[in-house]
Order: sequence, then C-alpha cells, then structure tokens
Amino acid sequence: MRVAFVGKGGAGKSSLAGAFARLLARTGERVLALDSDPMPGLAFALGTPGSDAGLPDDVVEEYEEDGRRRYRLRAGLTGSGVIERYAVQGPDGVRFLQLGKARGPRWDNTPAHFGFQRVLDDLPGEGWSIVGDLPGGTRQPFMTWGRYASTFLVVVEPGPASLLTGRRLTRLAAMAGSPRVLAVANKVHGSDDARRVAEGTGLPVVGAVPFDPGVAAAARAGVPLLDQAPDGPAAAAVRCLVEALRSREAA
Amino acid sequence: MKVAVVGKGGSGKTTTSAVLARTFARSGRSTLALDCDSNPNLGISLGLGEAETERLVTVREAVDAGETEHAVSVDDLVDRFGVDAPDGVRLAVVSAIQNPEPGCP
Repeated sequence: MRVAFVGKGGAGKSSLAGAFARLLARTGERVLALDSDPMPGLAFALGTPGSDAGLPDDVVEEYEEDGRRRYRLRAGLTGSGVIERYAVQGPDGVRFLQLGKARGPRWDNTPAHFGFQRVLDDLPGEGWSIVGDLPGGTRQPFMTWGRYASTFLVVVEPGPASLLTGRRLTRLAAMAGSPRVLAVANKVHGSDDARRVAEGTGLPVVGAVPFDPGVAAAARAGVPLLDQAPDGPAAAAVRCLVEALRSREAA
Repeated sequence: MKVAVVGKGGSGKTTTSAVLARTFARSGRSTLALDCDSNPNLGISLGLGEAETERLVTVREAVDAGETEHAVSVDDLVDRFGVDAPDGVRLAVVSAIQNPEPGCP
C-alpha cells in the first residue's frame, strides 16, 4: 500500500499519518513512513527517537546522459538497503525517513532530493508499504513530492478554509493525471460533518475521524496519539481507515 | 508598520494575520493584508466569504495564464489584485499555485 496524506496546514495530516503507519505495521506489513514536510511533525506523531532522519548526499552519484546531469543510487545500494541503513527505527517496526528539512537558507537539496526519489523508485516489488506525510497546502503534491503514492488521502476539517483547500487539491489532481484521491474527514462532530466534507470537496469520504481531545493532548505533549489515547475515538477511526484501505487494496 | 506572520502549518498564521489586520484598520490605520500563501485562505479569515476569496485567486491566475499583465507598481497591485474586506482592510492575493508543475517546489 502506498498512501500520501495531503491537506491544509493544521488539518491533522501528521497525527493521522503517524497513527496510520503504526497501525498498518501492526497488521504485519513492512512500513516506511516518509516525512517530506520541511516542518517536522511526523517523527513526533510516530514516536521515533529523533526528528531528523535524512539521507546523506552520497546515497546518489551524479552521471551525465545526453549532456544532462542526472542522479542514480550509488553502485551497490538498493532502495531496501538504504532504508535498512539510514531509516530510523520507530515503534511497531515502522521505519522513518525525512526529506526537505530546512538546514539553512543556502542548503542545496538537489542530491538529497534525487536520493529520496531513487530510493522510492527502487522500492516497488520489495514488499514495502509507504505512508507519506506531505507539506500542507497545494504545492505540487501530486508531482515530485508525492509521486510514489497510489492513493492520496486529503485530510479535511469541516470548515470553509479546509474544504476550499480540499477542492483545490481535487482540481490539481485532475490536472496531474487523476491519481486516486480520497477524503478523510477530520475533527468531525457528527455524521453531518462527513457529509459536508463529501459535498464540499466532491471526493469520496473513506474515513471520518471524530473530534478527540486526545489528539490535541498528544500533539501538545509531543507523544503519538496511539500512546496518548490508544482507546479514544480518533485512534479507533484510524484503525477503521487502515482496514478500509486494506480492503480497497485487496479488491 | 510592516508585519509578516510566519510559522508551522496549522499554528494559526492566517487567523492571527486576519485579526491583526482588522484590529489595525479599526484603530484608524490604512491597512493592506497580503496573502502570500500558495494556498490562499486569508480572505475567509477576514470575513470575505469563500466565493470572493476564490475570485481573487482567479484574478491572480490570469497573470500566469498570460491574459493580463503583472502589476507595474504597488498601487497597481493593490488596485487590480485587491478587494475591500471588513473594517476597511484592503486584501490582495499575490501568489497561488493552480497548476501542477514538475520540478522542485
């Protein structure tokens, strides 16, 4: 399963992605959790020991093709090998990698960017599931950053700004080859809210996560939702979301 | 006074900006609110409503589409890409990504 969480800033992408990755891993899948948001959040939502798990620049080597500079994995490296070596070990066996953390205004991220892409290009068929947390907003999520994903989950709160972002993402997806895009209604207060998200975004709603004070408490404490409020309604809803997507994959 | 509001996604940048802008305007200052987010929602927080917020984006989009010229001056930008919001705040949208493009974001 290869999913990417997108949506407006603050909609709850990282919190849900962190819980989703761990619950998916508990079903027995090998899970790589990817944070491509330069503002780190997924590490806290997963509960990994460090928040910075980048790839060293020398994961890729430069070569020339038709006079153009290109990058490939260094000789002897494979996608799985890179994960074994560089990805941080998180709870429930989830492996964690981060791309795009701002390391200074003049930091050149070209080698790391291509390293990330080459690792992901090399993974399919090796039994890895990928759960990605993309930057908030509408900055090209369906192209470079999220192209590993076969399903995009748009996290949407039932408020106008979040709904508007959902609609914009829907429109961008249609212009980017129409990948599979589904909505997850978040912080809902009743069944009516999920319907508002469906109508407001025009997307099928694959899950509805109730408003749960445990989510805010977890974020404030820097602790994963699954450790802070494992029996709360939000964790239960993410469990349902994992099952819903697994059924879709199986179908 | 020129203030830029920055921070992590979801921390409250847009809400803070809107309240600051309307508060300044109410105290009698002529206030310009600039939405520099690629996913511009400041209009909603200022109280303009969804339709007007989206209309401003399409005005900005016309520049990328080559249907209209870039602003030639600050006054021109505020005039052509702006709209009057509650409390007399003038809102202008200066960036929006409406088309997916390959390459580094």
